[in-house]
Amino acid sequence: MDSKYYVTWEEYLAEHPELEGKPQQAIAPKIEKYEDAMFTFIMDLLL
Amino acid sequence: MTDAAARTNERNQIFRDLFSGKTPKRVPISNPATQDFAIQHAGLDLAECQWDLTKLEPVYDKFCQDFYTDTYPGGSIRIPSHYQILGSTPIVMSSSGFMQHPDVVGMLAEEYDQFIASPYDCIVETILPRLYTGFNGEPGKVAMTLAKAMRAQSDDLAYLGAIRAKMNAKYGFATMIGALTEAPFDFMADFLRSFKGISGDVRRYPDKVAAACEAVLPLMIKKGTLPNPSMLGYTFIPLHMAPYLRDKDFATLYWPTFKKLVETLASMGQNVQLFVEQDWMRYLDYLYELPENTIMRFEYGDAKVIKEKLGQKHIISGLYPVTLLQTGTKQQCVDKAKELLDILAPGGRYWWQADKSIIHLEASGPVVENLKAVLDYVHENGTY
Repeated sequence: MDSKYYVTWEEYLAEHPELEGKPQQAIAPKIEKYEDAMFTFIMDLLL
Repeated sequence: MTDAAARTNERNQIFRDLFSGKTPKRVPISNPATQDFAIQHAGLDLAECQWDLTKLEPVYDKFCQDFYTDTYPGGSIRIPSHYQILGSTPIVMSSSGFMQHPDVVGMLAEEYDQFIASPYDCIVETILPRLYTGFNGEPGKVAMTLAKAMRAQSDDLAYLGAIRAKMNAKYGFATMIGALTEAPFDFMADFLRSFKGISGDVRRYPDKVAAACEAVLPLMIKKGTLPNPSMLGYTFIPLHMAPYLRDKDFATLYWPTFKKLVETLASMGQNVQLFVEQDWMRYLDYLYELPENTIMRFEYGDAKVIKEKLGQKHIISGLYPVTLLQTGTKQQCVDKAKELLDILAPGGRYWWQADKSIIHLEASGPVVENLKAVLDYVHENGTY
């Protein structure tokens, strides 16, 4: 999805160099979970 | 293993068989009455119960005790708290406590190009601020309103989920999960262009309508994707606009992206349940083309023709007229259930559901007794 309001993990990581060396395998699912939760919430407002 | 756990296992197997095209042990049943009905059946205030969810557990307990069903009954996606916080205009509570969806225009005709360029950006920047007052104003205030609304919805869904888990544990319902999405054309009509708006667009800007449906298709696929396709469940897609289109407009504007949506979800291993609203009899040949074992819950139509044309490939459901529960005698209601069972059950691929959900309950009317009689009849006579 091409949108400034939806960010993939790769895009997020590129914008957050402070995560270098951090446990990304634990961070990625959490960041993605809330990105998707916001997407679902927004779309539910139109369904 | 408890009796309830054994019933869950039995019911889960029935649905696994149904969804994979095998003839199950018996015809599975879903009670068509909604949470609104359940609250009225318990004699409580509709508006109050939807705001104070702590009142709902005894409501559901009575509902589950009184009516036979294989799946958890009721449920609601229209919980009022977050709509109120966001200043909703497309979903509002009526004076009688029912959540209603007035015809709204979230996107203007001149905004098609903006939508086609980036549907999600257009939704966030233009459509939601037009439909929800909470998306307007100072950025900090908008952010806080959005945070409150999301928290409210999350709390409410968690509370309803806990009630559901308790009822499943007590009554042994099938443990199914669901996702919700729409056909791209219906999404463009429903909250964005309105019934009247999209009807004019089909004639004035058919190319833009087609391009908008293509543009929003990835969002509809993402919205309809289950957390894990191997779980028992389905993506629910209510179908709205096709019966109001000319055949050629259906073929060029509605069908292509709708078909891609269903095919994509099915290719991920997901079951898809269509709520085939209004009368689709002129489109049965199209529906046949969808992936095998697509679940099709029909509102209207000729059950014999539907079974003959689609019943060897797809799972048929619906068609039982809930209005009969209000106007008919108990015998007439049971006779209708028998008629549909005789036509649709042979060979499997039949799931008993009604033609629409039951929302309103007239306390002095015959619906409760008639509904009980029909559900019990199908349960006792739907064995293969």
